Amino acid sequence: MNRWLDRLISAVVLALVGWAGASLLHWLVSGAAWSVVSSNLPLYAVGSYPEDERWRPLLWMLLLLLLTLGTLLGPRSGWLRRALPALWMAMVPLGVVLLAGGLGLLPVPSRDWGGLSLTLLLTVGSAVLALPLGVMLAIGRQSSLPVLRYASAVYIEAMRAVPLIAVLFFGQLLIPLFLPVGVELNRVLRAVIAFAVFAAAYIAEDVRGGLQAIPPTQIEAAAVLGLSPRQSMQLVVLPQALRIALPALTNQAVGLLQNTSLLAILGLVELLGISRSLLANPAFIGRYLEVYVWLAGVYWLVCTAMALLARHLEIQLDPVRSSR
Amino acid sequence: MTVAIRATDLVKSFAPGQRALDGVSLEVSTGEVLVVMGPSGSGKSTLIRTFNGLESLNAGELDVLGIPLDASYDPRQVRAIRRRVGMVFQQFNLFPHLSVVENITLAPVKVQQRSLLEAEERAIELLDQMGIRDQARKFPSQLSGGQQQRVAIARALALDPEVMLFDEPTSALDPERVKEVLDAMRQLARGGMTMVVVTHELGFAREVADRVMFMDQGRVVEMSDPETFFSNAREERSRRFLSQMSH
Repeated sequence: MNRWLDRLISAVVLALVGWAGASLLHWLVSGAAWSVVSSNLPLYAVGSYPEDERWRPLLWMLLLLLLTLGTLLGPRSGWLRRALPALWMAMVPLGVVLLAGGLGLLPVPSRDWGGLSLTLLLTVGSAVLALPLGVMLAIGRQSSLPVLRYASAVYIEAMRAVPLIAVLFFGQLLIPLFLPVGVELNRVLRAVIAFAVFAAAYIAEDVRGGLQAIPPTQIEAAAVLGLSPRQSMQLVVLPQALRIALPALTNQAVGLLQNTSLLAILGLVELLGISRSLLANPAFIGRYLEVYVWLAGVYWLVCTAMALLARHLEIQLDPVRSSR
Repeated sequence: MTVAIRATDLVKSFAPGQRALDGVSLEVSTGEVLVVMGPSGSGKSTLIRTFNGLESLNAGELDVLGIPLDASYDPRQVRAIRRRVGMVFQQFNLFPHLSVVENITLAPVKVQQRSLLEAEERAIELLDQMGIRDQARKFPSQLSGGQQQRVAIARALALDPEVMLFDEPTSALDPERVKEVLDAMRQLARGGMTMVVVTHELGFAREVADRVMFMDQGRVVEMSDPETFFSNAREERSRRFLSQMSH
């Protein structure tokens, strides 16, 4: 009796999945009008970046891709492996210089930045800012100085109580008010700062979890060897805590990538923003499904790359596994 | 003979009304091996942890290698003491994210500003002495307990301490692994190191100790040479402990 029920359920589920798969495939191949994607590929990649200068954001993304592949598939040892951390660090300033211009490149204002290149720059830029800020907040929250401890706790709790979109609005509208007249921070930078101060609160809690997982005997061992509290944190506690926090930090990074799409509401033409403006074009009216399926695919690809990189880093940081 | 550690009326209390150390006084001479024994909760671990400032004092005075330390707990004096006193813990407390050699060279390089090359040479030499030279590039989790504890001893010795404190160094080990750690300590004692050892290893105490101190309830019950302590302990409490240990 039970066996028959199982078989029936399996058959129904299989039929449903098969039907859904077949109709999706049918739609993908013959139903969908992919011209909204295929004829606008440069726009998805770089937005309305000046045509003659498009090679700059494209080059940056190509370098990111090469670095990703090099990290995942490259040699396990040697100078190339040792240079990787420095290369990754260099990607953010390099991206800013390539997109913004200067240093002999034609300056391009940030309102012309867009598409996937803007999404990626927002993500890595705010992640790179948020991580040290978050680590400092986590350490501050454990500090023996009450002022520092309460300030960190208040900051973290306050940031977590506010929705991200509100922080982004504040970033776009309030930061200019606080700056002296004549000084102007560009919109992208304001967004990066807003993301970073928001994400830092969450990162701080992830790092705190890692810090608390380190047994106090480790700190004792460092102390009797004569290490100062600062050296003990930097050389003994943090390296272990960050490794423990890494899966949670990966989560934050992926979340950051997805959340950059909120900036479309604020008028930045990152990946989602550029798609929305394409959909407003009379030539492509009503092509929502195609555009959003395509977007989902692109986000999925980037997320997968991030997940693979994080997994790779986890293995690298596992002393026993990486030494074999 | 000069005095390495002088303790006068040490008092340590973790909770009101309870005294982990209740007026402990003793002297350890340079080059001496003092073994501290006693039932669990007798205050012996607390006692040696006060010697390098891991526990602060509520009252009493310490003089470690000429550096005074009392209830006011001056961090500079604690640091000065730690620079010259090594410690080995029951649970080894190696740094799991560093290789064996990195564990040993960390403090010489970062605290004593020695060159990495010099520190590594010294680390290999110490590992050789401990009989685990071939484990240098492994990580702590790849070693047995006995090997880990010998790395911990090497790590402490790398700073050229004048006094070594051992807090139940063999209590977390498999019985077959105890000997290799005790052998390393024996060798150290023969080299003239000043040592304070909290242990339950009767054989080690009998053979290596210059004096045996027996503690109970935060007090020193008996201080004897090992011969007297093991064959003819003066105090009834010591004899009862020894008869329980030998069962």
